[in-house]
Amino acid sequence: MIRTEEMLLNVGPQHPSTHGVLRLLVKVDGERIVETEPVIGYLHRGTEKLAEDLTYTQIIPYTDRMDYLSAMTNNYAVVHATEKLMGLEIPERAEFLRVIVMELNRVASHLVWMGTYLLDIGAMSPFLYAFRDREQILDLFNELCGARLTYNYMRVGGVKWDAPKDWIGKVDHFVSYMQKQMKEYHQLVTGNEIFIQRTKGIGVYDQETAINFALSGANLRVTGLNWDLRKDAPYSIYEQFTFDVPVGEVGDLYQKYLCRMKEIDESLKIVAQAVANFPSEGKIMGKVPRVLRVPEGEVYVGIESPRGELGCHIVSKGKDKPWRIKFRRPSFYNLQILPTLLKDENLSNLVAILGGIDIVLGEVDG
Amino acid sequence: MNTLLLYLGPVILLLIVLGFVTYAILAERKVIGWIQGRIGPNQVGPWGLLQTVADIVKLLIKEDTIPKNADKTLFKLSPIIAFVPAFVVLAVMPFSSQIQFTDIGVGLLYYMAISSITTIGILIGGWASNNKYALLGGMRSAAQMISYEIPLVMSVVGIVLTVGSLNLNDIVEAQQKTWFIFPQIIGFVVFIISSVSELNRTPFDLPEAESELVAGYHVEYSGFRFAFFMLAEYVYIFAMSSLTTVLFLGGWNAPFGFTFLPGIVWFIIKFSVVVFFLYWVRATMPRIRVDQLMQFAWKVLLPVALANIILTTLLKEVPFLTHYY
Amino acid sequence: MLGLIKGLNVTLKNMVKPKVTYNYPQEPLEMPDRFRGIQYFDPDKCIVCNQCVRVCPTDCISLTGKKNPDPNQKGKVIETYNINFEICILCDLCTEVCPTEAVVMTNNFELSTYSRDELFKNSEWLFANDENIRSENTLNPIPVKKPTGGTPS
Ligand code: SF4
Ligand code: SF4
Repeated sequence: MIRTEEMLLNVGPQHPSTHGVLRLLVKVDGERIVETEPVIGYLHRGTEKLAEDLTYTQIIPYTDRMDYLSAMTNNYAVVHATEKLMGLEIPERAEFLRVIVMELNRVASHLVWMGTYLLDIGAMSPFLYAFRDREQILDLFNELCGARLTYNYMRVGGVKWDAPKDWIGKVDHFVSYMQKQMKEYHQLVTGNEIFIQRTKGIGVYDQETAINFALSGANLRVTGLNWDLRKDAPYSIYEQFTFDVPVGEVGDLYQKYLCRMKEIDESLKIVAQAVANFPSEGKIMGKVPRVLRVPEGEVYVGIESPRGELGCHIVSKGKDKPWRIKFRRPSFYNLQILPTLLKDENLSNLVAILGGIDIVLGEVDG
Repeated sequence: MNTLLLYLGPVILLLIVLGFVTYAILAERKVIGWIQGRIGPNQVGPWGLLQTVADIVKLLIKEDTIPKNADKTLFKLSPIIAFVPAFVVLAVMPFSSQIQFTDIGVGLLYYMAISSITTIGILIGGWASNNKYALLGGMRSAAQMISYEIPLVMSVVGIVLTVGSLNLNDIVEAQQKTWFIFPQIIGFVVFIISSVSELNRTPFDLPEAESELVAGYHVEYSGFRFAFFMLAEYVYIFAMSSLTTVLFLGGWNAPFGFTFLPGIVWFIIKFSVVVFFLYWVRATMPRIRVDQLMQFAWKVLLPVALANIILTTLLKEVPFLTHYY
Repeated sequence: MLGLIKGLNVTLKNMVKPKVTYNYPQEPLEMPDRFRGIQYFDPDKCIVCNQCVRVCPTDCISLTGKKNPDPNQKGKVIETYNINFEICILCDLCTEVCPTEAVVMTNNFELSTYSRDELFKNSEWLFANDENIRSENTLNPIPVKKPTGGTPS
């Protein structure tokens, strides 16, 4: 009597393709996935709770560690929320610097995604090429704010450092270098038949599902919905720049890849514009009281992080510390669709689909 | 004297093969490093030359762990079954017109038949480890190697038809004028693809896909036994590259009549090109998905290989092409 | 097929490009001036204002002060000053608030040791860490009425 059995496979928490410490309880029938259950929380540090005991300035370095691939946007979320609640004016030069670093950070983050995604699928070199190019962004950041990953660059009311001498010129140089490199990536990856085979038509979901799962970022736009907070709920000085929001049509992994690659192009465009119009002088800090006492009230801001809508909700009781702070962490929301997507897929699609969502475990667990 | 050579020869070959494996691993890491903008290993010994030696020493002094619920006998047996055929197939390989151990009439068939035994070793290893990842890796490996063996054999039938012999020496002799890569280009493409797959290398490295199965069938192996699996893999690279050279690149024959270099040197040059190609492909390609892999073998490679056979037989009858076929 | 060949072409081209890795442990890595490394602490400059302790988000600075031994001088002088590098995140906030630049950042970053105990650095150690000191530190200097512990550099 031949009998088949379902097998319970523990993917993670120590597994090369879970991008951190995610554990997936996968029930497989042969190589077909029957059920998946993500187990999260291995990287939970309680940022939100800790923040209740920290002053607003002290929260900023903590946000660096949530989505460690795009710490600049995290910094911005919390300072932007605070500024909104306090009604602060931000000097123009500071806003330009913020936009430049945020967009560069988006490029860096997408490069890491592209590299690790290809690594998941089995190609080694794009990973190292992506890191080679990202290194230049990190060097720029290192020069600007003294750290490569945990920038702690933004402050309530402005930014900590002004651009050093020649920095803007270096950014400009990097933009043209990166635009050249993008062609190479397209040659190496975009047209690769094996890559297309592995991603086209895989992990498809429609717009309605995406909205119901509260997806955001490229995960949402790939279904054809043009929703980018930089355009639809503009913050900072994004209204000054012209850029497109790349959207997909069918919502498969290949289009997600294309979307993110195009987002790099668009970010580079924004950086180029910001560099061209960079105010030659001006303050980088607005008028901020020495001790930040945020007036009583509530505020929610959503900004477009590389992974989606990064929200920051602050409830203040008029103290120098928030009464409650809540981050809407896009990776966490985006991850929720995983069990639905994985149902009845082949086991080798697991890493492809998981990678396509682009999660950062530091952000999922908070 | 002859008896001495009979026993000493294989030992020398083993040492050569071990030396090759040592430096093939280093070369692989170097080449892939260069491709990726890195330098590759450069810490142990000058230019990293002793890196693999250090790695092997590390593997040898490592604790030999056997999982508690593993099938102990099979667990121990499997690396041996995997490795021995890899070495045994080298017996029929004509490295030059003199250097060859046995000249048997069905050399090609011998190679194909013996090399498929390794699959059993891998399957046993995957099963005996009593680990889910290893099992999946072992199953994948068995499916893949069996599927690709067929197009592999079919792709060389064209050559066999042309030469009229399965003897590897005869095949090399027949290539004195034209290498088979030209008339048998279709066969060559099929052969290269299936041989990469037989070698379990990117883009066909599914059995040990580290991003999916962690390490596949050898995930539970450590130390010496693990070294044997790795050794088998690299000896197969040696064997498969030699076979490619012999079948399609004219073996020890010098191209364009450049006979000032001895045959063995030409062999090594061609052989190195094939090995480099394998590294190069590894550095570039993503991995194919397991179901696509099967479809590719049965729906694409096999029909193409069959078509190649038919084409060869037809072309054999075309009068002014008989020179090539 | 064409995509694969293009890809092979790209990798081959990259093979001859200059290598981008650093020969790090052999050659020290140069960090830009603003790099946030292990702090340097100058006990003479410290006025024991406690601002660095208060601003530190991870509570890794601990200090004690004592009365100035010179009876003509007012204020306090530092007695002990420790930074626990097990939890210091090198966030730069302490150097930012320190009004006298008593605690400043350096470009040194090599902190790895075999024991966690060694990561607890006292003021002597921090004072000895006087290489590669960052040139700008207190970017937003907070005016202090009477700096008594030393002169700001
Ligand atoms: S760098 Fe930050 S964490 Fe470290 S001692 Fe200073 S304030 Fe504390
Ligand atoms: S902030 Fe500066 S002066 Fe004040 S206690 Fe700290 S180190 Fe001393």
